[in-house]
Amino acid sequence: MIGWLLALPALGVMGLAFLWPLAMLFRISLNRTTETGAMEVAVTGESYTRLLGDEFTWELIGNTLGLSGTSAAIAVAMALPVALMIRAASPRWRGLLALLAIAPLLVSGTARLVGWMAILGDQGMINVVLRWVGLTDAPIRMINNWTGVRVGLMESLMPYAVLVLLAGLGRLDSRLEEAAATLGANRFRTFIRVTLPLAAPALLAAWLLTLVLGISAFITPRLMGGGRVFVLATEIYNLALESVDWPAAAAMAMLLLGGLILLMLLRGGVGWLQGKRA
Amino acid sequence: MSQSSPHLRLEQLVRHYAGAAAPAVDRISLDLPRGALLALLGPSGCGKTTTLRMIAGLEKPESGRILVGDRDVTALPPHKRHMGVVFQSYALFPHMTSVGNVAFGLEMQGVARAERGPRALAALELVGLSGFAQRKPRQLSGGQQQRVALARALAIEPDLLLLDEPLSALDAKLREGVRDEIRALQQRLGTTAVFVTHDQTEALAMADLVAVMNAGKVEQLAAPEEIFERPATRFVATFVGRAARIQGRLEAGGVLRTEGGAALRTHSSLAAGPVEAFLRPHRVRLLAPGEAAPTGMANVLDATLARRVYTGEIVALEANTPAGVITAELHAGTDGPWRELQPGSPMRLAFRDTDLLVFPAP
Repeated sequence: MIGWLLALPALGVMGLAFLWPLAMLFRISLNRTTETGAMEVAVTGESYTRLLGDEFTWELIGNTLGLSGTSAAIAVAMALPVALMIRAASPRWRGLLALLAIAPLLVSGTARLVGWMAILGDQGMINVVLRWVGLTDAPIRMINNWTGVRVGLMESLMPYAVLVLLAGLGRLDSRLEEAAATLGANRFRTFIRVTLPLAAPALLAAWLLTLVLGISAFITPRLMGGGRVFVLATEIYNLALESVDWPAAAAMAMLLLGGLILLMLLRGGVGWLQGKRA
Repeated sequence: MSQSSPHLRLEQLVRHYAGAAAPAVDRISLDLPRGALLALLGPSGCGKTTTLRMIAGLEKPESGRILVGDRDVTALPPHKRHMGVVFQSYALFPHMTSVGNVAFGLEMQGVARAERGPRALAALELVGLSGFAQRKPRQLSGGQQQRVALARALAIEPDLLLLDEPLSALDAKLREGVRDEIRALQQRLGTTAVFVTHDQTEALAMADLVAVMNAGKVEQLAAPEEIFERPATRFVATFVGRAARIQGRLEAGGVLRTEGGAALRTHSSLAAGPVEAFLRPHRVRLLAPGEAAPTGMANVLDATLARRVYTGEIVALEANTPAGVITAELHAGTDGPWRELQPGSPMRLAFRDTDLLVFPAP
């Protein structure tokens, strides 16, 4: 009873700042857009059918899943050695190393993207060095395209991947790796046959979380894509603020939300499976 | 055990842990004959597990050498040492079945695929678990997991079997049975083995040789009887078995004079000076009133009973004597006229001069 009372402020904020706007958004998504582009109050699924009937929407969904799926996978693959190293470190270093691995989260995402622009841009560090060495004549395009978005997204997802992996690997008994070694397995075979299978649930959990974060990412595709990269999040922005088609923007936001909730349920399922196995 | 060249030889092994002033293992040297079982016995923190881990290659010594046969394995990583290890927590692979766990080692040793299955099953049969081959570790009881771990370690036909507190995670009731099983199996296969324990009964019951360790050093390396009956140091005398402590001065002729005025005959050849003697409770005889001490029992003490603890088979009599508090443990059914004694009753206790284990006072 007391617990509920104490939770009231947080629940109130959640209701006011999240659930209420969400309900509003859903309501708007049911309105009609007239020929002239004005919004007319109605209760209709027109925006949904229009979006789902549009090939461009499906292309956006494909783009979004492709971009976040690969970025999340690369982020998790790169986070795994980091997490393994932190886990193997002596306890006095472990905390510091873990803090270092998630330190990027302490810097604003926008600032980090500006940093990437300075590194990857046409006049950026990499291109300047390549030209100076004489390896290239023209700059290699690494921003304002999918490459730039993928690099930026991957980097921003990595700290989360490290965090989830550390939590998951913490349950992995290092004696198992020692046992494998005494039975004649070298480090590589120990990794393939023991560490990796046991880390699989953690890897899946990390991938699903970073996938969800990647799908809902807006700033990275917007800034690193330079207007040439189209994903669901940027399209919602365009529909709402450039086309001023609120019902369509709201409907697309609801579709995205539905997809994300589905993925989170999947992730919950994985966690439940993990709990059952342990 | 008759071969003269040792199967396992440790030479001056040293290992420090970061931040610790004293070394965890301090210049340990010992030889173990082929086919023998060595127990590393000591209190927690004495360096026994570190020594075992260094033999397995899971930790590197700072100096010293480890030889198996005539092979120097000091620099070899664990996967090239060919030693079977049974971990305290068993460390079975949770994602593999029992037979999968056992076959894993065979696969890593390069045993052909067709041969692995039958050999893994044979190893499980050896520990009486052939019916549990397809079970995952979490579907097995603690004792069964322990035996799978043993089968996994033995299946690779290791040069050396290493066991880290193999019985400590088992129920007290299971422990004795598993203890005898491990010993019988080790003897049947002729495997040379080292096991770590803090339980003296376990060490005495299983081992051919016991190394009593303290503060990173081997205090005594000897057969169980030797360890118990002729402890080399004060630490061994107090750590292995129970004993009453008698303080006093050693005088010429090996006579120990206590502050309470008792003069006890000992077999000690120590120089005169302050000493401490230990007397095991089961060595002490209770004399009937007027009974003369049996021949050979040179020491007789007048005592008063302080406490009587009856536990069925054994009755312990705690007595105040001129030599301090001495406990006598008697077989309740057969030994001595203890039934009439009540706290405060006068009594007489007798023991041999050789029963006193004398060491210089610390």
